[in-house]
Amino acid sequence: MKLNAFYKSPIFLKSVFVVSIFAIFFISAVTFKHINLLNKSATWVNHSYDVNLELERLFSYLKDSETGQRGFLITKDSTFLEPYIQAKEKIDRSFSIVKNYTKNDPAQENNLRKLQLYINKRQNYLSLTLHLSLKKGLNDKELKEKLLVGKYTMDSVRSQINTMILLEKETLKSRELSYNDTIKVTPIFIYITLLITLVLISVSYIRINRDLEKLQVSNNRLTVLNESSNLAEIVGNFGSWQLNIDTDQYTFSDNIYRLLGCEPQSFKNGQDDFLKYVHAEDRTYFEGINSKRLEKENLPSFTYRIIRKDKQLRYFRTTGRIVTNRSGQNILIGTTSDVTDEVLASLSLEQQNIELEASNKELVAFNYVASHDLQEPLRKIQTFISRLSDKEYDSLSDSGKEYITRIHSSVDRMRILIDDLLQYSRANKTEKVFEKVSLDTLLENAKFDLAQSIEEKGAMIQSEALPKMTVIPFQIQQLFINLIGNSLKYSKEKVTPKIKISCKKVTALEEDLIPKNTKDKFYKITFEDNGIGFEQEYAEKIFILFNRLHNKNEYAGTGIGLAICKKIVENHKGYIFAEGKPNEGSKFTIYLSEDC
Amino acid sequence: MVKEYIHIILADDDEDDRLFFTDAFDELKINTKVNTFNDGVELMNYLNQPEAILPNVLFLDLNMPRKNGIECLDEIKKNDRFNDIAIAIFSTSSSEEHIEETFVRGANIYIKKPSDFATLKKVLSDVVTINWQYYTSGLNKDNFLLRL
Repeated sequence: MKLNAFYKSPIFLKSVFVVSIFAIFFISAVTFKHINLLNKSATWVNHSYDVNLELERLFSYLKDSETGQRGFLITKDSTFLEPYIQAKEKIDRSFSIVKNYTKNDPAQENNLRKLQLYINKRQNYLSLTLHLSLKKGLNDKELKEKLLVGKYTMDSVRSQINTMILLEKETLKSRELSYNDTIKVTPIFIYITLLITLVLISVSYIRINRDLEKLQVSNNRLTVLNESSNLAEIVGNFGSWQLNIDTDQYTFSDNIYRLLGCEPQSFKNGQDDFLKYVHAEDRTYFEGINSKRLEKENLPSFTYRIIRKDKQLRYFRTTGRIVTNRSGQNILIGTTSDVTDEVLASLSLEQQNIELEASNKELVAFNYVASHDLQEPLRKIQTFISRLSDKEYDSLSDSGKEYITRIHSSVDRMRILIDDLLQYSRANKTEKVFEKVSLDTLLENAKFDLAQSIEEKGAMIQSEALPKMTVIPFQIQQLFINLIGNSLKYSKEKVTPKIKISCKKVTALEEDLIPKNTKDKFYKITFEDNGIGFEQEYAEKIFILFNRLHNKNEYAGTGIGLAICKKIVENHKGYIFAEGKPNEGSKFTIYLSEDC
Repeated sequence: MVKEYIHIILADDDEDDRLFFTDAFDELKINTKVNTFNDGVELMNYLNQPEAILPNVLFLDLNMPRKNGIECLDEIKKNDRFNDIAIAIFSTSSSEEHIEETFVRGANIYIKKPSDFATLKKVLSDVVTINWQYYTSGLNKDNFLLRL
């Protein structure tokens, strides 16, 4: 595992390189040494041959001088003396050559000294014999004696020379042996080193190859990534840029130019050229944001206007984040996107909001008009009519009395309409003050409000305990009034109206009527009566404003009451549903969110 | 023997309403003396006279020119001299805001102008015959609005 890691680390290649360099140095050093050795041994062989040759030559000169001397001794002819004299010179020369050759060899020097002794002895005998024979003529016995001594000396010389030649040969042999040893080991050594180097180089070749493949793959991936990011920029209407904090160098992506309506990379990457496209009024702001950014601080998101090359006004938004790369450089990476649509949408939304607010205010003003200004003349008409019918009734004709009655009912109806409309617009009011109250209290208030008609109809109202909830109290009270009032109004003649109010805690999942994805827990409050009921097909229609199921001559009403109920329930993020069966009764179900 | 009158004042800018008001008291068999004023300024000018006979019950319309009912209410409540006056708000509006505001500022009762003369007579008769000391001690927001 560790080895594998080492193989994969970048140190591996460096180590292989260093080892290979050393191996090459080693091999060349060994080769150099080997060649040197070869050279030297050749010299030594030559040297040994030279020495031996010269020794042979020396010996042959000695023989020459002996032959000359003998010839002279026999013939007394001085012609024979010539080689003798010449040989003497040659011997000296040859000896000095040998001496020169063996300068650094103590054993041979020693031998040479002995040889010199023998040669001198030999020469002395030669010259002595020669001298004696020249001076007084030697007798045969004497001559024989002298010659014998000469022969012995000569033998010593010969043996000495042989010894020397032998020694030289031995030296040569031992040198050759050691040379052979070296020469035998060196190639193996070189081969092994070469082999190891080869293996190492092959391994690193494989490694480099693999790295190269990886590089290729990641290069390909990078190309694809680059292209997809380019595409994303075009589709997403944004461009990216980088600022090297240390060198203050900008790099813009192609899409930055396209956003400005320019050809990609058509001007220098940098803030100065970009600034030319920034709306003149926003330039100071733009520069301020950029210059205020402290080093190593992210660029906050900010929006500004741009005048494109084609003079189009666009809104851009820019933001940036500091990133430190592997080389330790701080780079501000940013994106600039064209947010014109977004900005325009939000501007128009703002405008719509202002309009909505204004129309809401108008509605409130209308409320006041309806509640006060419209009511006042109406009230006076009513009061005058009541005065008229009280004081002048008897003096009116029959048709006059009839008209008075008709005016009276019309004005009454108008009053109810105005009151109901007022309630409906109050249910719409924007200010919603939620309070935690007991719904029981609100129900009691509602019953109190309706006390007169409950009494008139002799209705029986049965209710379960209601919870405490956070609601808009007067609205929920109004809801109860409207629902109970509705039941009272549409009760059957000659049958005691019965209203049953029940309450249950439920979850959205248990109930089929409400969406399952809404908040979990609800209070389900039902109002059930034994009135005239209605066809189930109208169950939704009855909650629509001004929608009535009955002629106003049969049942008085404005068609606003249940619309108010729906509005109130919606204000509490709840649901209201109606169920009806003609001649059996109707049932209203309200779901109020528990944590409303 | 001096006959005991109940002094009543109405401040209302509406001529018809003043007429209904005085007619109603004329028909009621109660010993009352009714004074009417056209707006808040006239009313306050009268009340601020040192020799003025202070009313037992003051009926105040809310929406009046020059000085409205709320301003009058504030001025009256600031002056200890008027402590014994029972103040009845007498308005067309029955909006929660108006009821709340006048209750907080110290009015004794809130009457929505009825749309029927008989009812008007009943309301006025009820209001002037209330034992105010007893009524005011048990006053709360729920019985502030006179229900009929």
